[in-house]
Amino acid sequence: MSIIKYILDLGATVMLPIIIFLLALILGEKPGRAFRSALTIGIGFVGINLVIGLLVNNLGPAAQAMVEHMGVHLNVIDVGWPASAAIAFASKVGAFVIPIGLLVNIIMLATRLTKTVNVDLWNYWHFAFTGALVTAATGSLTWGLVAAAINAAVVLLLADWTAKMVQDFYGLPGISLPHGFSAAYVPIAIPLNKLIDKIPVINKIEADTDTINKRFGVFGEPIVIGLILGVVLGILAKYDVKGILNLGISMAAVMLLLPRMVRILMEGLIPISEAAKAFMQKRFQGREFYIGLDSAIAVGHPAAIATALVLVPITILLAIILPGNHVLPFGDLATIPFMVVMVVPVTKGNVFRSILIGTIVIGVGLWIATDVAPLFTQVAAEAAFKFPTGATEISSICDGANPLTWVILQIMRLF
Amino acid sequence: MVSMRKKTILVACGTGIATSTVVTEKILEAAKKENLDVNIIQCKVSEIKSYAEDADFIVTTTILKDSFGKKSINALPLITGIGEGQVLKEIIEEIKK
Repeated sequence: MSIIKYILDLGATVMLPIIIFLLALILGEKPGRAFRSALTIGIGFVGINLVIGLLVNNLGPAAQAMVEHMGVHLNVIDVGWPASAAIAFASKVGAFVIPIGLLVNIIMLATRLTKTVNVDLWNYWHFAFTGALVTAATGSLTWGLVAAAINAAVVLLLADWTAKMVQDFYGLPGISLPHGFSAAYVPIAIPLNKLIDKIPVINKIEADTDTINKRFGVFGEPIVIGLILGVVLGILAKYDVKGILNLGISMAAVMLLLPRMVRILMEGLIPISEAAKAFMQKRFQGREFYIGLDSAIAVGHPAAIATALVLVPITILLAIILPGNHVLPFGDLATIPFMVVMVVPVTKGNVFRSILIGTIVIGVGLWIATDVAPLFTQVAAEAAFKFPTGATEISSICDGANPLTWVILQIMRLF
Repeated sequence: MVSMRKKTILVACGTGIATSTVVTEKILEAAKKENLDVNIIQCKVSEIKSYAEDADFIVTTTILKDSFGKKSINALPLITGIGEGQVLKEIIEEIKK
């Protein structure tokens, strides 16, 4: 046991490559390829760490200055899903999440509790994230692992439950979407959609997808969002022109660089992911099973894009006017498509309704993200991500604002 | 050997990172086997408009409504693993054109 503890205490950039190397060997990967993939993952973490530093060191002081000058208390920086995923995988729960997720899936398939074969290993990070928050809250690694397993199981059930709807709406036969973030919004969207059915006038409105996609197109370009937000924040923080322009370019850089760094992590994970896919498909194949994939495959649908584009400015507005919110939306403004991708089929592609439901879940989500910020920051610090000491806290929309994550966290806190 | 112009492929998915990385790696591997040299640009679906001009054709794992006059190939089989060979063959043929 002391060897395991020693490895866990080495820090994410060392610990995860070792674990990935061993896991790849167990799944039948050649040592050379396993080593290369493990090393690549370690490099990915180093890269993400650098860019988070760029983000927090630039945006942190600007947010503080904005608080002083404008009285807008948005001092929790939304670091976005790339950073959240890295932090989750780098946590102690993250070290175990791939075997745990696979085990939960195999047990549920064998006992016929699920039809989904979840081959989307990358998105196991959502389960690790929940587990890491629980571990930080309870001080127990065991409870964190239990929470991750529960999250994995719930997401499989949600994927089964929504499979027919997703397959019909997006034209994806044989596929389900066991996505920890996207699937969490379906149980909320269904009652809200039924409620909208009962409101006169509102229940008749439909928005034109093409017009929205044309007018709001700019919100689909992360680097442009980064530049605009950086410049606006610089102005609000009363920087001089030089400072404003520099902040703008720096924030555009973060928007481009952070996902690029995560791409390196992904690259390292591919051999394992492919090996696990082959392993699972050999055992569970045929008409009775769904292949569980990343909800990214449905995000291109025009109704999903249109909904998400309109929700970008709405999210920023909500962050400013919502009392009790301290989250400054940034990194995850580019992630909103994933929040609505499984809501859109619920409304049968009605963009107006999807925006309405999206506005509600983002509003509540900002409160949740504010609530988990101290835990989030603690998990990040324990995973050895660098922060300037001071008042800056971090959170994110994906998964900091995830209602399913939050509910599991609250339940596990009772024990 | 007939010299071919180096083709640029735009690989798009929902994140511009997740599934498109898997597809990019598989295309590069398949192209290497055929001794083909390609440029790959990875992006989000919402960014296709900005990059389409530079691309010879588009490969995507998600639903594509407008391919801006370029040929597009759906690479979902590379993610599910079902029908993978067929799609890779189609992509290689497109590179050789």
